[in-house]
Amino acid sequence: MKHLELRDVEFHYEDGTKALNGVSMALEEGDKVAIIGPNGAGKSTLLHLIAGFRTPFSGEVRIGGKLLDHRNADLLRKDLGLLFQDPDDQIFMPTVEEDVAFGPRNLKLEDIEGRVANGLRSTGIEALAKRRPHRLSYGMKKRVALAGIMAMDPKVLLLDEPTSGLDPRSRTELIKLLKSMNRTMLIATHDIEAAAEIVDRAIVLNVGVVTEGTMKELVTAKDVLENIGLEVPPVSKLFGVLDAMGYEVESLPVSMDQAVEELTKVIDREGKHLHAHIHEHDHTKGGKHVHEHSRGRKEESVVE
Amino acid sequence: MRIEHMSSRRFVVKPLDEHAECSRFGGLDARAKLVGVLVFVVASALLTRQDIVFVSLAMSLVLVGASALPIRHVAKLYLGALPFILLASLSFFLFSGVEKGVTMWARASACVLALIVLASSTQTFELFSGLRRLRVPAMLTTLLMLSHKYIVVLSDELSRMTLARRARAFSGGRNLLDRYALKVISFTAGMVLVRSSERADRVYEGLKAKGFEKDLTGWRTSVLGVSDIAFVMAFVAASAVLLVLQTEVIA
Repeated sequence: MKHLELRDVEFHYEDGTKALNGVSMALEEGDKVAIIGPNGAGKSTLLHLIAGFRTPFSGEVRIGGKLLDHRNADLLRKDLGLLFQDPDDQIFMPTVEEDVAFGPRNLKLEDIEGRVANGLRSTGIEALAKRRPHRLSYGMKKRVALAGIMAMDPKVLLLDEPTSGLDPRSRTELIKLLKSMNRTMLIATHDIEAAAEIVDRAIVLNVGVVTEGTMKELVTAKDVLENIGLEVPPVSKLFGVLDAMGYEVESLPVSMDQAVEELTKVIDREGKHLHAHIHEHDHTKGGKHVHEHSRGRKEESVVE
Repeated sequence: MRIEHMSSRRFVVKPLDEHAECSRFGGLDARAKLVGVLVFVVASALLTRQDIVFVSLAMSLVLVGASALPIRHVAKLYLGALPFILLASLSFFLFSGVEKGVTMWARASACVLALIVLASSTQTFELFSGLRRLRVPAMLTTLLMLSHKYIVVLSDELSRMTLARRARAFSGGRNLLDRYALKVISFTAGMVLVRSSERADRVYEGLKAKGFEKDLTGWRTSVLGVSDIAFVMAFVAASAVLLVLQTEVIA
């Protein structure tokens, strides 16, 4: 069953700027999809539109098969858990546990005690239950906001830039947490590496849908990403160079975990060792960017 | 509630209830504090005899001492309210004589000090939640809570804008004739309002995203204990004594 469906959605801001144009997508139960795009691509607008805070100019949004409009937005929003980019915008209560209980109480759900305990446990913040949220670090506030959403037990999680503003450790922990969650998820982000860890599929958005596919398919479409102002992750670039040097790579890794996995395969295949190469750049030969390798598998120049 | 303290070197945003946990009355039920203090304030406001008004002021000072709140904190808040107290007393000083003016000042000060103890000894959310539990309409308490949240948002935005202004070497604003500085400050004020309004919209969407409809109350609710009842009784007794002295029943 389709948990979420958008058909030819179009949206303009008050000043007439087109924010979304002909956006269509569908999420089945259990799908984890990333919306990737540069700043101003319409990612957050799209999430707010799905949550019923904005009304599309044309096209339709269906949640659980029901058409979303301003009359039923409050009702249909009960199936959605929207995590805001800034956790301070959605933390209201004086203690962490009170804040986690806030959503379930408003929705008049049963077993609030159990839901709060689950929300806190699933986000790893049980020890913070009695703490004051405004005194926590940014990363912890993100977890509190996520725990509040989890306690509402939504069918679809809508996450707006979940990794932005986090330090490396908090980012890694949050990625691990989202990866372990078995829920339908739509993540708006420009953090391609994080998205690659969490989702199965991605949609590249730049006002309209540019392309979609698996994360591995997307990083091979380097030009598409660069055209809209996004960059292939450094780890993918590195493995592109390895591939050009003769170490054949089965698929371009997008995240560090995938890179380790791929590197292990290459090392195993190469007899448990890798040759190091001196890599020189020469920008003078015929105006072309030439890479020369003093020792490499292919023993030849790679011209870009 | 937050109060902003500007100094030449730093900009600090401090919550009004920052000492609530260390106050001796911090652990009491908000409802007991609200009822006790409001009874005392109403009784004090009804007093007209100068000597009795001073007894009421002395009681408020005892309350400040008993609360164990930092004196500097109470003094700062009192000084913040003083211009309004003096303004209220001014007409009495001018048209009814010094004695009436001093009585007015003492009466207002007694009420303000008791309210400062109430506000500083109770978490702001608990205070509004307590009002709701005392059957004040949800519309009113939610409005109070959201207004409080908006003041916090406004204060956050103001502190960010002020820091950003300073980071770009702006140091004007001390001279009323400095037209450039006044222009910058008026632009800042406009930006603060626009940004606060945008943020308030996001906060509202945050509330709606969590199924909020109209009632913002706490989940864990306390039960009135012996100390809460004793607190209320003490205030009711003190208020009764003041009113009896006022009506000269004892005399």
